Amino acid sequence: MEWLVRALYIAWKDVRVYYLKAPNLTYGLMMPVALYLAFGVTGQLNPGTLISGLVSLVILFGTMSIEAVAVVMEKQTRTMDRLMAAPVSPLTIVLGKALAGTFLGPLIAAAVLLPLTLYSGESIGSPILVFLAIILSSFTFSALGVLVSSYARWVPEAQMYANFLRFPMAFLAGTFVPLEAMPPWLQTATRVLPLTYSVEALRSAMGGGVTPTYILDMVVLALFSAAVVAASALMLERSRD
Amino acid sequence: MTDAVNVDHLTKHYGGLLALDDVSFKVKQGTVFGLLGPNGAGKTTTIRILTGLTRPSGGTATVMGFDLTRDAVKAKQRIGVVPESSNVYEEMTAAQNLIFAAQLYNVPRADRAARARELLELFSLEDRARSWVSELSRGMRRRLTIACALIHRPEVLFLDEPTTGLDVQSARRLRESVGGLRDMGVTVFLTTHYIEEADQLCDMVAMINRGRIVALDSPENLKAGVAGARIVEVSFSGDVALSDLTVIGGVLEVHRLGDKYRLTVSGASDVYGGLVDYARARRINITGLNTLRPSLEDAFLRITGETPGDAEAIKTHGRDP
Repeated sequence: MEWLVRALYIAWKDVRVYYLKAPNLTYGLMMPVALYLAFGVTGQLNPGTLISGLVSLVILFGTMSIEAVAVVMEKQTRTMDRLMAAPVSPLTIVLGKALAGTFLGPLIAAAVLLPLTLYSGESIGSPILVFLAIILSSFTFSALGVLVSSYARWVPEAQMYANFLRFPMAFLAGTFVPLEAMPPWLQTATRVLPLTYSVEALRSAMGGGVTPTYILDMVVLALFSAAVVAASALMLERSRD
Repeated sequence: MTDAVNVDHLTKHYGGLLALDDVSFKVKQGTVFGLLGPNGAGKTTTIRILTGLTRPSGGTATVMGFDLTRDAVKAKQRIGVVPESSNVYEEMTAAQNLIFAAQLYNVPRADRAARARELLELFSLEDRARSWVSELSRGMRRRLTIACALIHRPEVLFLDEPTTGLDVQSARRLRESVGGLRDMGVTVFLTTHYIEEADQLCDMVAMINRGRIVALDSPENLKAGVAGARIVEVSFSGDVALSDLTVIGGVLEVHRLGDKYRLTVSGASDVYGGLVDYARARRINITGLNTLRPSLEDAFLRITGETPGDAEAIKTHGRDP
């Protein structure tokens, strides 16, 4: 388990160096809150549907953006070489970076979830299941941030790659419009987006007990995150060529 | 005894560019080894392969018996790396950087703080332990980078251009630190394009040019290799044409160095008379005359076949601004 301990050290370093910065924290929060004000307060959408979508969205925007920027910053300042020269495998480095987002995800999710549930009067059916869905979503989107920054040399380049994934997901993953209200072909297309499973898992958990949908969503998210971590580690290994 | 570093027929291609061409050498434990060469010669590629940052295209490289490709993690546990640009985290304090390095290299938890304090003292940074790295001078960051590389008591320390960009005082201090490391039994592998630095510090030197090792010996042996020729440095009170000096008997080569002329001669005493006669004829005075032993720079230029003009990147005392 030595590799996991070192991954946690890398994660905590990332939290201190990159995550706990006001601009980074607020970036993830601003857009979802603005969307809630646009759709939720004006009554255009059901708050029950909207809250789980917004919580997933805040995790996506928060963790993915910060980790993508963190990786590029490490390359630019050559501190990535410090990690690569250390006796840790690329998999440990990627895992550490994804775990950094897992520390932060629950904090920014809570910053949106708690005020919105209090304001709207919606209840959190199963806090434990909600927490687990938030943790797994945070890890998945943070790992996705590492992967999209693999090719990027500059921060704007990393953000561009991240936007290719974030914006289609933000509007197509059942965040604002329930999947069942979409045409069948679009419903099928949304099944390749990890945000879809995050939103769905949170919505199930907000509703109460463990459902087959919740379990399936969590399994898909876990498999997706494992694939993303493996691909990121492979990319990091290939950077040695 | 296992060699600290063993490089065997190493090659590296970057696309169509051949950066390293069949490079082989060994470094004994407890010595200071210098890899010399102009910018772009292959020094950094070699050190990146030896520190596991770059994968070779062919050949093998081992550190303390561990192959950098097959046993990378074990090899890396035994080495410390100081890259050309200091890569400590600016958003952390000096002490936090050292503790993070200790965590990465699996230094026992109970020893981390004491080891960090010890290194801060060794590199005269004890009063800056709680300073953010962004507040430290370039020389202090360099020393902190070296301290981080030593946190786990590595058996081999790799230093890539350790004094580039440092002021004269910081560079001298750093060179003293390298000497101290050898006394502590650490094998030091350094790359530099400051030839005099290598002459002062290294037990063995490899000269690399265009990706190939062109010489491998001790600095003294390399200098002795050009002993057939001697160097005379002369300065005059008036202007002198280079072509006038080349026709003086016994003069093999002439280069202008600032206000001086450096003559490579077959025999110094034969040339003195010619220089005096030349100055008299031109009605100018000789304001300086020195006979020098060939330097490591002379050996490098002789071995690589380059003139000082070609080898502009090779410096002796010069420091980057």
